[in-house]
Amino acid sequence: MKIWVRTLLGATALGLLLSGPAASDPFKIGYIIPNAIGEAGWDHELERGRQAIVDHFGDKVQVNAVNGVGEGPDATRVMNRMAADGTNMLILGAFGLMNDGLVLARRYPDLKVLHYGGYVNEPNFATLALRHYEASYLCGMAAGMAAKTGNLGVVAAFPLPEVLSIMNAYVLGAQSVNPDIKPVKVVWLNSWFDPAKEKAAAESLASQGAEVLYSLFPGTPSTVSTAEQLGVYVTVTLSDNTMFAPTKHLCSAQAEFGPALIRKIQDAIDGKFVGDDTFSGVKDGSMGIAGLSPDLSEEQKKQIMARLEEMRNGSFQPFRGPIMSNTGQEIAAEGTNLDDTAIKSMKFLVKGIDTTLPN
Amino acid sequence: MMDALTFVVAGAFAMATPLMLAALGELVTERSGVLNLSVEGMMAIAAAIAFMTTHDTGSFLLGFAAGGVSGLLLSVVFALLVLVFLANQVVAGLAVGILGLGLSALLARSYEGMTILPMGKITIPILSDLPLVGPILFRQDVMVYLAIGSAITLAWFLFKTKRGLVLRVVGENPQAAHSIGLRPIRVRFIAVLFGGLMAGLGGAYVSIVLTPLWSQGMIAGRGWIAVALVVFACWRPIRLTVGAYLFGVVLLLDLAIQALGLSIPSVILTCMPYALTIVVLTIVSSDASRIRLNAPVSLGENFRPAN
Repeated sequence: MKIWVRTLLGATALGLLLSGPAASDPFKIGYIIPNAIGEAGWDHELERGRQAIVDHFGDKVQVNAVNGVGEGPDATRVMNRMAADGTNMLILGAFGLMNDGLVLARRYPDLKVLHYGGYVNEPNFATLALRHYEASYLCGMAAGMAAKTGNLGVVAAFPLPEVLSIMNAYVLGAQSVNPDIKPVKVVWLNSWFDPAKEKAAAESLASQGAEVLYSLFPGTPSTVSTAEQLGVYVTVTLSDNTMFAPTKHLCSAQAEFGPALIRKIQDAIDGKFVGDDTFSGVKDGSMGIAGLSPDLSEEQKKQIMARLEEMRNGSFQPFRGPIMSNTGQEIAAEGTNLDDTAIKSMKFLVKGIDTTLPN
Repeated sequence: MMDALTFVVAGAFAMATPLMLAALGELVTERSGVLNLSVEGMMAIAAAIAFMTTHDTGSFLLGFAAGGVSGLLLSVVFALLVLVFLANQVVAGLAVGILGLGLSALLARSYEGMTILPMGKITIPILSDLPLVGPILFRQDVMVYLAIGSAITLAWFLFKTKRGLVLRVVGENPQAAHSIGLRPIRVRFIAVLFGGLMAGLGGAYVSIVLTPLWSQGMIAGRGWIAVALVVFACWRPIRLTVGAYLFGVVLLLDLAIQALGLSIPSVILTCMPYALTIVVLTIVSSDASRIRLNAPVSLGENFRPAN
């Protein structure tokens, strides 16, 4: 690390010599990745986002990343230190860092803060979110195609609005290609992290005849590798999980944190930073799919990719009417689409999901 | 419905095994009068080392050996603190536990999120194909049988052998034991090491058999449940085995009921095991004589020979 900093200082000094007084210090970014970086999942994608920033900006930015500090006092300490050391921008990769980030944003008006998953904005505090539901719809299509008898199972953490939107889009996607989809079974883990429970949940769904499992925001690859062992297909959010289920991996969402981050950083460098909400998806390359199974026919893959293309050019979005909830309410009428606010605050399950929501 | 039933009653053995192994070790430790609260940490470091070993060598036997040894080594640290330096048992246990958790994350950093192929189950021909009984009794992995076997062996050891009696005497009254020529420190040392070994095997089971992957923090509170199980079982091995199994059943029932699509809110099901623990603990401890008869009298107190 020290050597790296020294090299960087050396490079900057050289830059100063070559280009004269016009050269400036690199834009300093503090980047908080809450947990250990695995081979897939949230922290893995955050790390890829960091890489995308470095690849794009090169020497113009200096990214100081820390990982594994959690969302508690350790992270607070690191963030305070970064802000005090003259960091220009903090990127916070966990919901739980929101309040600490806000405190710092108010204390240092020149500091820009980017936060994932929150709901607060200040002039120098912006939030980022991804349209996971778009990729989820596409993987849902793949699941609908692969499920011969129409039995799908979902392993999910908590019934939060974002999780509901992802689950709903998945089921809508499956129903769009397969009219025989049976009521979808859901197991709520009520935990972000318990691999043994994930595994048991996957096993219980498979024992009920589920042909395709959906690992929705997995804390670990447990559901995916269990599906491989049980010989049922599996779909996943966030990252390509092919390596955990070489023969049974059907479709993964693939999040790209890079495009939105690069845009916000460029804004900050240009002095045009706004503390707004960014909700990005397929359109700007922030969301895609990966690892489509070779068991799907070329025809089926083409059908899925055609939908992706329609999302990109804006002619299709998953939540278009008519949408009925599983309690029989009409959520959206024929010909209307749900807007972003409705998608972000989703509190219903679509018709065809066999679970209840706590009040 | 039948599938769900089989899933619950057969699957509960695997869920119960790591709890059983770690709790049996803690039971022996506590019977000698030492309260070791570092079970979670010992399980974590063992899970990390066992996973790394099995991942690199492909051998489950070596994985279990490495896990057992690493749990044992961490318990040596604890034993030195409380038996030689007479540190407070609660504080030392918590500190060593945190050390174990931290070390596990550090050592297995480059293995984060990796998976290995699961260990095969023992299937006894014909018998394992019987409905319900087959998967429950004859289609488990070898550690399940070993865990139940060690519970029975321990029950025999504690209550039917002279060495078992020595262990219990030391746990009841180390001064008296010392005055009749027994060696409380040595007995306690061995008991703590045994506890470390068993917690290590339990931790190894979690990372290489139960969920064959490594992820930081994957023990997810099982060490604490093991400590609670010992009280729950009134320091008796057979009761502990039943308690661990019940815990596994309730845990899986939550998932099976959801998968069946029955409309019971999942949050209620998820808190069932913990609610049940509280209820049973209340019932057990409302009978004061039962606790008094079974709890080792000198539990948590350090021993210094009076001479």
